[in-house]
Amino acid sequence: MAFTFTLYMLNLIKPKNIFIVIPVYNEQEVIVTVVNNLLPYNYSLVVVDDGSENNLELLLHRLPVFLLRHRVNLGQGAALQTGIEFALAENAEFIVTFDGDNQHDPKDIDKLLTSLIDSKADIAIGSRFMKGAVHNIPVTRKLLLQLARWLNYFFTGLLLTDAHNGLRVLTAKAARHIQFKETGMAHATEILSLIKKNKLRYIEVPVTITYSAYSLKKGQNMGNSFRIFFDLLLNKIFR
Amino acid sequence: MNGIQIILLCGVVSIFLYYIFSLRNAFFDLLFLSAFSGLAMFFILFPEYTNIIAKKLGVGRGADLLFYICILFFLFITLKLFGRIRRLENKIVDLIRQQTKESARFMDESKKK
Repeated sequence: MAFTFTLYMLNLIKPKNIFIVIPVYNEQEVIVTVVNNLLPYNYSLVVVDDGSENNLELLLHRLPVFLLRHRVNLGQGAALQTGIEFALAENAEFIVTFDGDNQHDPKDIDKLLTSLIDSKADIAIGSRFMKGAVHNIPVTRKLLLQLARWLNYFFTGLLLTDAHNGLRVLTAKAARHIQFKETGMAHATEILSLIKKNKLRYIEVPVTITYSAYSLKKGQNMGNSFRIFFDLLLNKIFR
Repeated sequence: MNGIQIILLCGVVSIFLYYIFSLRNAFFDLLFLSAFSGLAMFFILFPEYTNIIAKKLGVGRGADLLFYICILFFLFITLKLFGRIRRLENKIVDLIRQQTKESARFMDESKKK
């Protein structure tokens, strides 16, 4: 917090101009916890409800968050794009994508932001496999993510230490270049293609990911991975 | 002309006419469809030519050649349909996104921006 605190004091960055976009789909069990954990940082919070079965209005009532609701479920990529466009329209300086299943640590936002500003990069991407990262990842999930890393490399030419990490910080300039066409989970690969295509500078930063029984139940499995693979393949043809 | 030839010809001509009227502005689609329908009618009327072409292409029988062409044609149609569905999906996403952004709400009324 120290570095960005200095920036806040110098009025170089206002926390309210840092928009946290949280895509959620049926996360009613944890969304209030996620929001409450983020509130002390005074960021602008944008919850994008991707057509959940239960309306989140009652749960988020009187909390200082923007609530956007897709009428039907479109997918995480579409929810992120909606949140990013909204944040840009609200004059965001930095946009953070933050998963709604309580896996991420809000403290890491400051870490990513500091690294982004320090390195003058356009995008900082969280990694659970870099030195300094903390995670309690199950072995099968780890193998799946390693496979996803190489698939990302096959489709985009960029080999990162992690794949499908939902915690990222984008400058407003970078966010304008990131236009997700992939509505589902394949957006995590698409962002790499867009980084390459738009010659954006990116860095990876070690982050903490906490797996719980809840987040594991909601996360990716082998079946989803095949779907992502075919989405990417077909969408490459019909770009 | 035998019975099956009449049935197949009626089918091909009906499909051709239907698409002529629905694809009036799609020049290349019409061109492709005209060529395809013309070939279909030719092979229905002169089936012995399928055997000749099949042998030249290294396929045993004309019926097998038609079967392989049908597979290719089916794949082509599937891909065309996938492309169309994807374009439709994109339109739906754009519509819902527009509506979502317009109805965005700040939940704490007391601290309204």
